Amino acid sequence: MLSYEYVKCTGLSEAVDILAKEEQAYPYAGGTDLMVGMRGGKFAPKKLVDIKTLPELNVFEENDQGIIIGAAITLNQIACHDSIIKNIPILAEGSHSVGGYTIRNRATLAGNICNASPAADTAAPLYTLDALINIVGPDGNRSLPVEEFFTGPGQTALKNGELVQSIFIPRPFPAGKGVYIKASRTGSVDLATVGVAVQNWGEHVKIAVGAVAATPVRAFSVEKAINEKGEKSSAEAAKLVNNDIAPITDIRGSREYRYHMVEVLVRRGLEQTMGV
Amino acid sequence: MSDLKIVGTSVPRKDAMEKVTGAAEFIEDRYMGPMLYAKMKKSTVVHGRILSIKTEKAEKHPGVKAILTGKDYPNMIGLYLIDRTFLAVDKVRFWGEPVAVVAATSEKAAAEAVDLIEVEYEELPGVFDPREGIKPDAPVIHENLGNYEIVPIFYPTPGTNIANHFKIRKGDIEKGFDQADHVLEKEYYVPQMQHVPIETHKAAVQWSPDGKLTVWSTAQSPNVVRQLLAKSLDLPMHKIRVISSYIGGGFGCKAGASIEGLLVPIAQKYPGHIIRIVFDREEDMQGTFTRQALFSKLRTGYTKDGRITALQYEMIWDGGAYTEYGVNIVRAAGYSSTGAYDIPNVKTDSYCVYTNNSIGGPVRGFGMCEMQWGIERQIEEIAKQLEMDPLEVRLKNGMKRGSTTASGQVVQDVDYEKCLKVVADKIGWGKKESGKDGKLRGKGIAGLVKCPAQPSNAASSAIIRINEDGTAHVMVGATEMGQGMLTVISQIASEALHIPVDKIDIKVPDTDFTPYEWQSVGSRITYTCGTSVKRAAEDALGQIYRIAADLLEVPQEDLSYDGKKVYSTRDPDIKATIREIADSCKKCTGEGIAGPIIGRGSFVPTNMTNLDPETGQGNPGLFYCFGATGVEVEVDPETGVIEVIQLASSIDAGKAINPQLAKVQLHGGTIMGLSTALYEEVRFDKGIMLNRNFTDYKIATFDNVPHMDSFIVETPETKGPYGARGIGEQPMIGVAPAVANAVSDALGVEFNSFPLTPEKVWRALKDKK
Repeated sequence: MLSYEYVKCTGLSEAVDILAKEEQAYPYAGGTDLMVGMRGGKFAPKKLVDIKTLPELNVFEENDQGIIIGAAITLNQIACHDSIIKNIPILAEGSHSVGGYTIRNRATLAGNICNASPAADTAAPLYTLDALINIVGPDGNRSLPVEEFFTGPGQTALKNGELVQSIFIPRPFPAGKGVYIKASRTGSVDLATVGVAVQNWGEHVKIAVGAVAATPVRAFSVEKAINEKGEKSSAEAAKLVNNDIAPITDIRGSREYRYHMVEVLVRRGLEQTMGV
Repeated sequence: MSDLKIVGTSVPRKDAMEKVTGAAEFIEDRYMGPMLYAKMKKSTVVHGRILSIKTEKAEKHPGVKAILTGKDYPNMIGLYLIDRTFLAVDKVRFWGEPVAVVAATSEKAAAEAVDLIEVEYEELPGVFDPREGIKPDAPVIHENLGNYEIVPIFYPTPGTNIANHFKIRKGDIEKGFDQADHVLEKEYYVPQMQHVPIETHKAAVQWSPDGKLTVWSTAQSPNVVRQLLAKSLDLPMHKIRVISSYIGGGFGCKAGASIEGLLVPIAQKYPGHIIRIVFDREEDMQGTFTRQALFSKLRTGYTKDGRITALQYEMIWDGGAYTEYGVNIVRAAGYSSTGAYDIPNVKTDSYCVYTNNSIGGPVRGFGMCEMQWGIERQIEEIAKQLEMDPLEVRLKNGMKRGSTTASGQVVQDVDYEKCLKVVADKIGWGKKESGKDGKLRGKGIAGLVKCPAQPSNAASSAIIRINEDGTAHVMVGATEMGQGMLTVISQIASEALHIPVDKIDIKVPDTDFTPYEWQSVGSRITYTCGTSVKRAAEDALGQIYRIAADLLEVPQEDLSYDGKKVYSTRDPDIKATIREIADSCKKCTGEGIAGPIIGRGSFVPTNMTNLDPETGQGNPGLFYCFGATGVEVEVDPETGVIEVIQLASSIDAGKAINPQLAKVQLHGGTIMGLSTALYEEVRFDKGIMLNRNFTDYKIATFDNVPHMDSFIVETPETKGPYGARGIGEQPMIGVAPAVANAVSDALGVEFNSFPLTPEKVWRALKDKK
C-alpha cells in the first residue's frame, strides 16, 4: 500500500521546483490515470503535487494566434467549449470519447497526452491540428509539436522536473470538416482498439491514427496519395495506411483486426470529410 | 385470487428511503469495536508445491498482530464436495490462492507485512483446459479426491480430475436416433464470466471470551455460513452468530461460505477485537467464484417435420481449482439438459473437471445460460436445415403442461407458448427489416427454463410477531441484496394478515434471532420463504380468531376479519379491534385469554426426490419457470459491431407479487444477459487472469442498454404463495442465444460461442468468405 505526501502549491514555480528537486514527485491534476497507475503498481510516488488550481494552468482562452488550453482544463470543459465545437470539432469529439462523463469531469487534455498511451483519444486529433505543447521546467519554457512529444508507449519528451503548462492550437483553424472515429469493444466507456482522426484542411488532408503503433502516428502514405498524387478514391487511399502503422495483438484486439479496422475507419473518415 | 389487495400491487420498496438517503448500513459502514485488519498473501504460481513460507520479517513489522498459514489452520470447508481449506496447505492450485493471512492494526500495515512474507514454490505442470484435464494422463490436481467428504448425490472419480460425472439416460437413445430423419452435431463453448456486484466480498468476525463467535458477512446465506463454520471449526451452532447486513449485489458469488472462516483463528487469539477483511476489486475478480467455462457437444436427431426425437449432450465444465459448489451446477445443467423442450430420448454426460483456473461456482442462471446456449443455437440451425420457422420448431417441441424434463419430471403450470409468442409479436417476428448504410438487420428468439437448484430438503421458516398496537414484525432468514426480498415478503405477510405493508417491519437476517433459511439463491425465496411467511401469517390469524372468539363469545365460524377488526357476521356490532385483541387479550372480567400473538410457519419441499445415479431420473425441480427473449439487431458487416434495435423479454412469474419489482428484475437480468452476449469474458493465460479490472473486463453501461420491453406472463404456480414462482435468474438465460440467433439471421453465419465481440463477428464473416 502506497504512502505518499500530498502538497498543494500556490504558484507554478513552486510546483516546478518540487517536481525538479524531489525524487518520485508526480504532478496531480485529474488523477484519472495517475490513481489507476498507483493502484496497479505502475507509479510509486513519494509526493503528489496538486496542480489543479494553479492559475497559470487554468488558462483557457482564444486569441488572434489560436486557442490555449491550460493543463488543468478538463476534457468536459473542452468538449463543451463553443469555439472548439464550432472551429475544431475533431478535438471536441476526441475529448468526449475519453472514459465516461464523470471521468471527463476530472481528466485533463494535458494528462491524456502525458499518460502517452498510443490509444489516447485526444492525441490523434491534436496531430491533425498542428498542436503545440508548451512545457515549463527548471530551465525555463519551451514548446514542442505534439508529434515530437510522444516518444513511445507511456513515454514523452518531458525531462526531469518538466511539466506541460498548456496545449496550443494555432490559427488558422481548418477550413474543412474533421472527424474522430473510434472503434472499441463496447462503444462506450472503453479504450480505443483503433482511433482515427481525419481533418480536411481545404487544400489538403491530415490523418492520424491511434492504438496501431508505439505512439499515435500520422498516416503519411494516405496523406501523400491524396494531397500530392491526387488520389480520388477513399478506398484506395485508405489501403495505404498499412504502410504507416505497426499494430500489435493485445487483450483489446488482434493485430489483424486492427489492420482491418484502421483501413475501414480511415476510408470512412475520408468519405465523411472529403466528400469523395 | 381476484380479491387480492396487496399481492399484485407495486408498493414502494421497503428499503428505498434508507438506500437513497445513504442511511442503509453495509458492513464497512459500521463501527463495531476495536479493529484488526486482514490482508492475504496470494499465490504467484498456478499449480505448485509450497516448499516454505517465511513469515519472520512480516511478524516484526510494526502493527502486525498475527500471521496465519495453511499449516496452522488446515480445516476443510465446502458445501457439497468438501475440497477446500481456508489457506493453501502444502499445495496451491490457482493463481491468487491465499497462502497466508496477516492481521494488523491498520490495512496499510497488513498490506506491507504481506509483501514481507516470502513463499517458495516448486511449480507443477498445470491443467488449463478441462478437455485436457479429463484425460487419464493429465496432472492430477486433487490427489485426495477419494478421501473428501461429499454429499452422496455427486460422483467424483478418484485418481482423476473428474469431480462429478452426472448422467441422464431417458428413453431409448438408439431408438430416438433411429426415428430421426436427420442428425445435427456441433460443439459449443462458453467462457468464464464474473458477477461484478457493486459491493465486493467482505467479512468481519469477533470472538468473545465466553466462546461465542460473531460473523458479519456479505454472505447470501447466513445459515449456510453458520452450518459450514460449525462443521469446519467443530463449534455448536448456538455459539455462532452470523449477521448479513444489506448486500450490494450477489448474483451467486456470495452463495455458500467464502472468506468468513479465514479470520476465526485470529479472532480467537484476540478476543473482543473485530477482525475485518475487505476484498478489493481485483481480489473479488480473481479469488472468488467465476462462472465455469463449458465445452459442450450436442447431437440432435430430428424428423423432417421438425420434431426432436433424440438428444445426446456432453458437457465438460471447467470447475477450476476447487469445486465444492461447482459440482452442483454440473448436476443441475445435467438434469435440465433438454432446456425448455420435451425430448423423449436423452443421453447426457455432464463432467465437472478440476483445472488450475479460478474457482468455478454459482452465477445467476446456475449453468442454464451455458447449457441452454447450445440447445437454443442448435434448434435455430435445425430450423434452417429444414427451412422451417425457428419459432415454429420451438413451439412444436416446447414443453407444455404434462411434458417431461430430461430427468423425467412432469411439469405443470406451464405456458411456454405464450412466453415465446409475446416476444415474437413484439419484435415483429417474420417481418424482415432492411438496414441503413450497408448494415444488416436480423431477428432472433430464444426460450429458457430454470428450476431452483437446491437440495430436496432445503427449508425456509418465518416468525411473525403481532405488536400490542396491531403492527407486526416479520422475521425471516432471507437476505436483501437488491432483489427486493424485504418488499415481496412483506407483501405476502400483509396480504395474509390484512395488515398494511407500512405497518410491517422486516429486517435483514441475524441467525441469533431470525429463523432458519437455507440460502437466498436459485430464485427460490419468493416461493419458499414466501410460503413459510404465508403460513406464519395464517398461524397468527388463527390465533387472532381464537382470541376474538373467546373475547366476543362468538363461535369462530361466525367471525370475520376486515383487517381492522374482528366482528360477528350475525351482528357486526359485536366486534373487537385488532389492537384490542393483540394488546389486552383479556375479557371484561379481567381473566386472560391467550398470550401475545406469534405466528410461525415453515416450509420444506415435498415434491422433490433424489435422482437415480445411473439414469438421473427423478424430480429435482421445486418449480419450473419459463420465459423467452426476442432481439432485433443491426450489424455493421465491415466492423462487426452489433447494435441492438429491439430487446423483448418475457417471464412466467405465476403471479407477480410486486409487478414493478418483477419488471425491474426482468430489466436487470436482460441487461446482464446482453452484457455477457456482447462483452463479458474472463481471459486467462495459463491460469493467470488477464482482465481482473474494469479497464479490460467490460460490462454493459447505460449507454449500451437499448429500449426494452418486458412482459410478465402469469400462469399460476399451484403450490406457490398466491400462485407465485421465482424469476430472479431466468431473464438472463435466453439473451445470448437470442442475440446470436439474430446476428446469424442478419449475416448468415453461425456462432458457437459468445461474447459476440466486434472482432468475433468480423472474423466469422471473413471465414465465411
